[in-house]
Amino acid sequence: MKTDVAIIGGGIAGLWCAYELSRLGFRSVIVERNAHLGGHVAYYCCKATDKCQRCGACLLEDVLDTIQSSDKISFHLQTNILRVERANGRFSLKLLRRPSRIHPDQCNDCGKCLDTCPSPGALARTATGDRLLINEEACLFFRDRSCRVCVDVCPEGAVNLAASNEEISLDASSVILATGFKPFDAGEKPRFGYGRVPGVITGLELDQMLRADNFDVGNGEKALRSVAFIQCIGSRDPRIGRNYCSRVCCGYALRLARLLRSRSPEIEPSMFYMDIQTFDRDFERRLDIARKEVRLIRAIPAEVRSGSEGRPELIYHGPNDEKLYESFDLVVLSIGISPNPAIAGLAELLEVPLNEDAFLGVNGDEVMTGTSGVFVAGAAQGPKSIEESVSHAIKTAANVASYLNRSGQGDKS
Amino acid sequence: MKVPELESIFLNRGPIPEQRDFRRVLVLGGDLAGAALRERLVSEGFEVVELGNNGTEAESTGNGGAAGQTLKRIDGFVGGFEASLSSTKGSSTGRFGFVVAAQPAQRLAKFGDYGLGPSEKVISLSQLEALLKGEGTLPEPRGDWFHAAFLCGLEGDADPAAFKRVFDAIEQLRSKVRVQPYVLTRHVKVAADGMERRYREIREAGTLFFKFDESGPIFEQGLDELSIVFTDPILGVELELAPDILVVDEHLAPPESLQPLLDLIPSSAATAPFLQPESSRFSGVRTPKAGILATGASRGHFSLEPDASDVEAVVVALKTSMTEEIPAAFPGPPIVDPAKCTICLTCVRLCPHGAMSFRKRAEADPASCVRCGICASECPMEAIRLEPPEGQGDVIGKVRGALSRAQDGTRIVALLCSRSAAHAMAATGPRLTGNVIPVVVPCAGTVDVSAVLKAFELGADGVLVAGCHTGNCASIWGTVLAGGRVSHASDMLEEAGIDPRRLMFVTLASNTPGAFVRAVQELSDTITR
Repeated sequence: MKTDVAIIGGGIAGLWCAYELSRLGFRSVIVERNAHLGGHVAYYCCKATDKCQRCGACLLEDVLDTIQSSDKISFHLQTNILRVERANGRFSLKLLRRPSRIHPDQCNDCGKCLDTCPSPGALARTATGDRLLINEEACLFFRDRSCRVCVDVCPEGAVNLAASNEEISLDASSVILATGFKPFDAGEKPRFGYGRVPGVITGLELDQMLRADNFDVGNGEKALRSVAFIQCIGSRDPRIGRNYCSRVCCGYALRLARLLRSRSPEIEPSMFYMDIQTFDRDFERRLDIARKEVRLIRAIPAEVRSGSEGRPELIYHGPNDEKLYESFDLVVLSIGISPNPAIAGLAELLEVPLNEDAFLGVNGDEVMTGTSGVFVAGAAQGPKSIEESVSHAIKTAANVASYLNRSGQGDKS
Repeated sequence: MKVPELESIFLNRGPIPEQRDFRRVLVLGGDLAGAALRERLVSEGFEVVELGNNGTEAESTGNGGAAGQTLKRIDGFVGGFEASLSSTKGSSTGRFGFVVAAQPAQRLAKFGDYGLGPSEKVISLSQLEALLKGEGTLPEPRGDWFHAAFLCGLEGDADPAAFKRVFDAIEQLRSKVRVQPYVLTRHVKVAADGMERRYREIREAGTLFFKFDESGPIFEQGLDELSIVFTDPILGVELELAPDILVVDEHLAPPESLQPLLDLIPSSAATAPFLQPESSRFSGVRTPKAGILATGASRGHFSLEPDASDVEAVVVALKTSMTEEIPAAFPGPPIVDPAKCTICLTCVRLCPHGAMSFRKRAEADPASCVRCGICASECPMEAIRLEPPEGQGDVIGKVRGALSRAQDGTRIVALLCSRSAAHAMAATGPRLTGNVIPVVVPCAGTVDVSAVLKAFELGADGVLVAGCHTGNCASIWGTVLAGGRVSHASDMLEEAGIDPRRLMFVTLASNTPGAFVRAVQELSDTITR
């Protein structure tokens, strides 16, 4: 069976492309380097208070359902691209699939391997919690073949440490790069205290903790009260090569702030910002609502340090240029969207140019890459929200479909 | 959430089409986006009639420009819409498979918001753009420099598109005169491709930006005088500007001529003045009613290049609308019992998808119906039912079957929305304990009072009804109506002497298994207490 489209990246944009293309009658194969589909969205929490805040994270479950039951879509997990060759307008991809050392169908999730594994971190659940993985870097078997405890204790025989990598050939008429983004590494901006000052976390970490139901707002003496969100960490900062706005962070900080307040009305969130970027048709109304619940301060703190009682302390400039010191129970860094470093290698393989911000958006034409037959979808093109990634993926799918129809490459069935 | 009153909706009187024709598309256009859409659809083999904006002429060059016609009224369903068009030459009708609203936003200059009056010196951004295109001349500067002040989002809000227009205007002015630009704003909106870079370039080239928080400038406008007085938000000193020109930004308002389409979709009571609900469930250009699509400002989306991606989304939507599949587990379309229907029109009023019509009795269009079941559960005469797929019972049948197979112990029947709660329960894994008997329904809107009461009658110790969060229901108000019905059923339980807390309604999302576990725990605690 011929593959019409090879989709590199199984995040929300890649999945949505596959879904739209299947509805248009085209076959796609999704190549995902991680062990799960859904990319970053699989780790985001629902931001609804008593009402939906329109973060879009729940869109993933809908599309995953369709993808997994479609006969026009298949996928390779834990798979990287080794080589790409082009001939006669078709793409030959050589893939390398790392084995599932714990077979997902055989594993009954009893957790015996987790309980007996002697090496911390060698066995872990995926962030979505639905699968177990072996981390080769921490596993003693891969260090010196000294341990096979998990194989021995597994009642289902689901663990296969000896499984080896597999090379796969994939032939396709077109390629969609849907490689997404990398969250900015907050450690690159040491003055905000990440990894150094206790009580400083990233927005993504807060999101993940909320998703996994292990964020505790505390009670009594230990109740969480003051939370500071600091915007533009790794965005709008040409000194570190990020001369762009990440677009989504004002929205996610405001949503998270309101979500925390809905969990505990005693929480008083503050948001330190340059310009608030969230905008949609109800922006004015939303900002008015948010303003009642979130204290908005136009300043990016100069420093975050360990203050009294072990709480993080922010130093920032007030409206009359006075230096202000304020402690918080929790500081949340709104880290921005960085280009996926893996895109550089793929771009080289596929001979597509990167733009000055190292994303794939070129010539202002947002789904073409400049190379015939190679398209881009989602945050690989530039920072995007979940809903924007979906809209973009729809546009990409439509363009891919007309390319396939035009070039007579489509194997419509 | 607003549910329409009977008199507030325009009743769809279009018949359910016997033959559907998907080739003809009516486009409400009138600007470049409409023209681009028309061209693209024609290239895909559709026959397109494009109407102008607010009664103005559509560009009638090329295929299908319907000069000077406006849409007066529209009835019908996908594959068979009947449109009444009118023009100065009289009225006509047309039959269309699809309708696409692709009208641009109205731009309303904010003169009044700032207490300013339009004059030679005080002009809107659109007026400046016209001047720069050569339609008229700029006022003469009083000195060597031309001082141009721009207001952008000082009142109301602005978006990156507005700032892009301001930046474009500044660059064009710079190519014509020695200009000193000022931009007075609250938030510089750079959340679009390349905008942060341009903002820096514009600033480095000498444009002064003043960003205000709570306060703002005071405008003094005389016959020939114009000054702006404010405290510099950074330096804290009093400043006075006497610009040669003051450019006022614009509110983006929804297109004016969407009303006939809004009238055709009952749930527009919750989405107006736009055609698309403000909900993640409506991605792309879909509206709640099959066959009606909306792009750009018509769907409430204002972006830098509003309609470029929407055009392609329309193509996909039109090409796939014939293959749109109803999940196999969902029931068939509503069947109306002629002996029971009194044509009270509750179903017509409450169908979020505008799938109901009526002639001798209420009737449903199967192609527009998504099987949410709201019509059946809200029908006061119990005249409507949705036939379950073969081999499956209706909701009560499923509850009966599930309870008969359930183990002994505390038994909780969970009526779960297929889009949210069913996923949430599936993802609970080992965390979920207790005897939860799931019954999946297409939408919580399907759950009616009798199903809930029947579950207790059949031996349930507790009933949990779980739908989507308000604002995230694919049938707009399905979850809200379900919540209302559950509270009604609670009252009835109480009257019957059953602890009403044994019936619980929650809203959750597909990715919140924890919330599902907590709800079950709370209900179990109530039952065992």
